[in-house]
Amino acid sequence: MTDYKTADNKIPLFLPHSSISTELNKTGSWRYVRPLYDEKTSPCSAACPVGEDIARIEMLVSQKRIQEAWQTILKENPFPAVCGRVCFHNCEGACNRGGFDDAVAIHRLERFVGDAAIYGGQAPEIKTRPDNGRKVAVAGSGPAGLSLAYFLGRLGYRCEIFEAQSEPGGILRWGIPAYRLPREVLQKEISRIEKLGVTINCRSPVSGEMLQAFKTRYDAAFIGCGYGRAIDLKIKGAQNAINGLHFLSQIRAEEAVPVKGKRTAVVIGGGNTALDVARTLVRMGVDTLIVYRRRRQDMPAFDPEVEMALNEGVRLKELLTPIRIEAVSSGMADRQAPYVMTLQNMKVSTTEIKGRARVVPHGDKTEALQVDLIFSAIGAEPEAPWHQAPTGETPCLDLSHCKLTNDDIPIAYGGDLTNRVKSATDAIASGKQAAIALDIYFKSGWDAIREAVADCQVGSGPAVSMAMYLGEERKNRNPHIVSLNEINTHYFKTASRVIAPVLSPGDRIQSFLPVESTLSEQAALAESRRCFNCGICNACDYCRLYCPEMSVMVEGERRDINLDYCKGCGLCVAECPRNAMALKEENI
Amino acid sequence: MKQVAEGSQAVSEAVRLAKVQVIAAYPITPQTHIVENLSEHCANGTLNARFICVESEHSAMAAIIGAASSGVRTFTASSSHGLAYMHELLHWASGARLPVVMANVNRALGPGWNIWLDQTDSLSQRDTGWIQLYCEDSQDVLDTTLMAYRLAEAVNLPVMVVLDAFFLSHTYEPVDIPDQKPVDAFLPPLSPRFQLDTANPTAFNQFVAPQAYMEMRYNIQTAMQQVPQNYNRIAEDFKTIFNRHPRLAEDVHCEDAEIIFVTAGTTVSTCRQAVDRLRQAGEKAGLLKLKMFRPFPIDFFRQVLSGKQKVAVVDRNCSFGATGIFSQELKAALYNAESPPRIFGYIAGLGGRDVTPQTIEDIYWQTKNNDCPQSENIWIGLDQETLKSWRN
Repeated sequence: MTDYKTADNKIPLFLPHSSISTELNKTGSWRYVRPLYDEKTSPCSAACPVGEDIARIEMLVSQKRIQEAWQTILKENPFPAVCGRVCFHNCEGACNRGGFDDAVAIHRLERFVGDAAIYGGQAPEIKTRPDNGRKVAVAGSGPAGLSLAYFLGRLGYRCEIFEAQSEPGGILRWGIPAYRLPREVLQKEISRIEKLGVTINCRSPVSGEMLQAFKTRYDAAFIGCGYGRAIDLKIKGAQNAINGLHFLSQIRAEEAVPVKGKRTAVVIGGGNTALDVARTLVRMGVDTLIVYRRRRQDMPAFDPEVEMALNEGVRLKELLTPIRIEAVSSGMADRQAPYVMTLQNMKVSTTEIKGRARVVPHGDKTEALQVDLIFSAIGAEPEAPWHQAPTGETPCLDLSHCKLTNDDIPIAYGGDLTNRVKSATDAIASGKQAAIALDIYFKSGWDAIREAVADCQVGSGPAVSMAMYLGEERKNRNPHIVSLNEINTHYFKTASRVIAPVLSPGDRIQSFLPVESTLSEQAALAESRRCFNCGICNACDYCRLYCPEMSVMVEGERRDINLDYCKGCGLCVAECPRNAMALKEENI
Repeated sequence: MKQVAEGSQAVSEAVRLAKVQVIAAYPITPQTHIVENLSEHCANGTLNARFICVESEHSAMAAIIGAASSGVRTFTASSSHGLAYMHELLHWASGARLPVVMANVNRALGPGWNIWLDQTDSLSQRDTGWIQLYCEDSQDVLDTTLMAYRLAEAVNLPVMVVLDAFFLSHTYEPVDIPDQKPVDAFLPPLSPRFQLDTANPTAFNQFVAPQAYMEMRYNIQTAMQQVPQNYNRIAEDFKTIFNRHPRLAEDVHCEDAEIIFVTAGTTVSTCRQAVDRLRQAGEKAGLLKLKMFRPFPIDFFRQVLSGKQKVAVVDRNCSFGATGIFSQELKAALYNAESPPRIFGYIAGLGGRDVTPQTIEDIYWQTKNNDCPQSENIWIGLDQETLKSWRN
């Protein structure tokens, strides 16, 4: 037998092989388009009045980086726990996930993040600029004034707030009932602003004369006094109606209210105040009816509030407007309700004004109601003329959320006084915008304000971002707002939107306890994973996985393209689930 | 020790004895029993190999190419459409000079959907650079498979062991299954001439420019041309150890024969019987068993067939528009030979149709009674009624 080793291995072999790697072949030279990480604007953040970086916040929550998520909110909004409860979340209406299954429950996640920080006892790491020696006087400690002081404080200004009431918070404290916003949550978030060095002087109402005096003692002023005065009913017997806003503040101040022993009430109006008054009354055992001159779909109140009120037993009568209130003769008052209110039936006219139906009296049809209590909540207006920006000679800059005048010193006006939408979040937005505008004024002068404010707009929306103003990485975001058809939905499975534990209507009306609970961590993490993170790189690494040239380089959270080898095939861009990349033509 | 075994089992036992290290295969009738037996061997530890389950034959060959590149002994098996699906990678395995061994069970291609014997599947892979060895019976299958590893590893070319659907793959007959020890003596562990090695990183089979590609092809051709002599030498070793001589081709009564049959697979056995009967009747019939189809052993055929009168090739395959493939090959091999014989090409037994000793005798008489072939491809046993029906 032959020796196989010598006999078998005689066939010559001619094979291509090399001991150097393919790194020699710089395939990048073939490229005529280049991929890049091009983070864009999520629709939620563009819809948010304060421009929170929601896509990134939800990404951080999903990675269990709750503290970082909180810090990210604080960059744009000093009130995460408050807004998580009271904001009517335009963001969710804009959420791309809504076109896939259901919008992400952004407000519940914000509340979870805010509460986790408050109850986890976390102290914020807020970067502040050194004291620049400038002092700003702030009239009103509502969400607008507090927001302005918070952001100016971070920019190195010393702010002093003057508040007429006994405690700070404005509408948040006096106008929003405890079942929506517990006092403790508000207090904690206000304390955080005070710790920045903001002084709040309570029981110190500002007058027109004081404002003049401010001009010598301060470098700037901010007016955020809100709509302090309720609009009166202008009908016969209007003096018999109780001011709804005043009633709510009495409840929050735990003052005595004339409700004890009363069985029935009518609330006139269709706004959030009317709803809050009605929901407060049912909690005090009063059978409550809201009468509104238009229809339910025309009510300025936020619909989820209307729905909750109806669930709690509040009744609603549409297309009715009061024309007079009469006291019943005293002889009958022992057994019967003391007031008779006459209401005019209304009907919808064919024309609409700004989405709301125009209503006109329905002939001379009227109804009469006999009730114990009547509340008026038909709107509010500024308490004093100087609360509003002057018109006429003084130069006035009209920005999306605030107005600025320059009368010896720059004076900014914000909150309900200037906002088209009267909401706490819009008030916070106005304080931030005014803070940025004032800082620009002191740095670059009056004429630079409009352009520099526009420079830190979120997407093309009205919100401005402090992070962008400060030149943080968010500044590099493409203003393009990501739409659903730009999301690679193959990467996502349908999942139902989280439901927060909520008291039954029967339990709710027994007390002023919060109606809804904060999400558990487990539920919050699951919900945050539903977020597409539109336009944001969340380091999912599908780009890296699919890159045929292994050209995606990792550096912590960052991804970069190794242009020596990237052929510009565009797979990474096509695969990116969330449109955080783009292809750019090379200049050849 | 002799056992009653299926042809499929003859393959799997040979693979077990060859101590194959990686198997990847996708099941297809009539190859399935081979793969089933091997997966059982892997599962119960009688074969210490990695069995890679794959989703297709294309992947099976790709996995085998990867494994073989790392320098281990490999095996796969397929049939018909499965083999056709492997086609691209068959070229790769030979070009990469990997000593892969596979078994192919000859089965018809659809449509019409047919699972029975037909040689067209393996013959369609003629030009892929694989050595092809056709088997006559189960013993031949076992011996050829063991030979295949020695041969593949000697010349660095892949080998396809081909056996007939059902007539071999599913038929039980006595097979001498050797002990491990003599097999180890015949077939030592693979010592690869090149391999992937993390300690010495090397890239194989990358881009080759026109300046070198042709030489690379010529190198494959050179290796192929050395296969017959290597085969013969290894077959001598085999004979020494196992006392059986699996020749690359075998002649039976050819010396004085006037008509010589040339065929492959189980038809060889049928032919043996027919030749015996014809000899008893005083006819000068002979038989040439075609075992090695690639490389085609031209020298052997010229040596045996030069000066003979007539050759009758029985093809269980057809290259449409030409002739049966074996007859085509034989004509090409003998064209430049001295005094080549007349070659009669017969096509018979496609898609599992029986080829009986009587069929072979009919072919004999048809060959004897004609000086020249009536046609370059003569179809045997066509059903005239059917032909009439579709001619109308």
